[in-house]
Amino acid sequence: MSEVKLSATPRNDFGKGAARRLRRDHQVPAVLYGHGTDPVHVALPGHATMLALKGNANALLTIDIEGDSQLALPKDVQRHPLKNTIEHVDLIIVRRGEKVTVDVPLHFTGEPAPGGRAQVELTSLSVEAEATSIPDGVEFSIEDAEVGTQIHAGQITLPEGSALIGDPEAIAVIISDATLAVGTEAEAAEAEAVEAAAAEA
Amino acid sequence: MLIPRRVKYRKQHHPSRSGMSKGGTAVTFGEWGIQALEPAYVTNRQIESARIAITRHIRRGGKVWINIYPDRPLTKKPAETRMGSGKGSPEWWVANVKPGRVMFELSFPTEKVAKEALTRAIHKLPMKCRIVRREGGES
Repeated sequence: MSEVKLSATPRNDFGKGAARRLRRDHQVPAVLYGHGTDPVHVALPGHATMLALKGNANALLTIDIEGDSQLALPKDVQRHPLKNTIEHVDLIIVRRGEKVTVDVPLHFTGEPAPGGRAQVELTSLSVEAEATSIPDGVEFSIEDAEVGTQIHAGQITLPEGSALIGDPEAIAVIISDATLAVGTEAEAAEAEAVEAAAAEA
Repeated sequence: MLIPRRVKYRKQHHPSRSGMSKGGTAVTFGEWGIQALEPAYVTNRQIESARIAITRHIRRGGKVWINIYPDRPLTKKPAETRMGSGKGSPEWWVANVKPGRVMFELSFPTEKVAKEALTRAIHKLPMKCRIVRREGGES
């Protein structure tokens, strides 16, 4: 994973008024903390921050505050519910070689055996990895998996240097029967009736 | 039809319509979702109608989640009644939906069918909505 460099400016004005003024200037208010240090309130460049965090919730950031560089990971990103713009970022200070626990996205590749449908129960895995080598994602093939197969979190092969944190017995994906209708049996019967009526028409 | 089994107060004030949704603004269970763009009271009939629209279109091979619940009663006075004499009787059960809320989620392998099913459901809902995809999903 590559590091993204962001130049930050310290901020001394707090509250919603100051935060809104920053956002109007295309900046993002952020806070940097961790390792027992006092929290540092900074303003990040809006567009660069958006690009750094786009599609990568665990982007490793190098925050440059007036010549002083800090390695950080986004701990929490607040977004506008409709515009999806970044409103605030919590950054946690990490050190090179330090092990961190992060959620990495889980992707399933391939198609299950005919008649089967992948019912994904886990979309991310909590893993422990070095801060500088966090995997972008974990891929697992479900090619030709039979109906009734259950894949548990512990069965998923993780990239080298990463270890699973959490329940290894948690079900990640179930290959269910694709011919079953959605919902209850009554709804299934209803779907059948609608299908039959459509066929007659 | 969704309806609470027991409520503490039968007749409540109208729920607040102001503000944005505080949570439930992202797709968390399925792959696709319907996000509200305006505030609205969504009745249990509308929720059921939208759910049926989705399930009838996808038929089989998918899963539907409903993230809202009609837990607020709205009252109505009978027609041609003079004002006064107390509050009317409960008439509807509504979910107080604010902008940004992902109301329905769907997991279905085919994008075209999933989008069509959600479009049909949007037609049953009382506010402007849009179809959203899970963040980090394949584009």
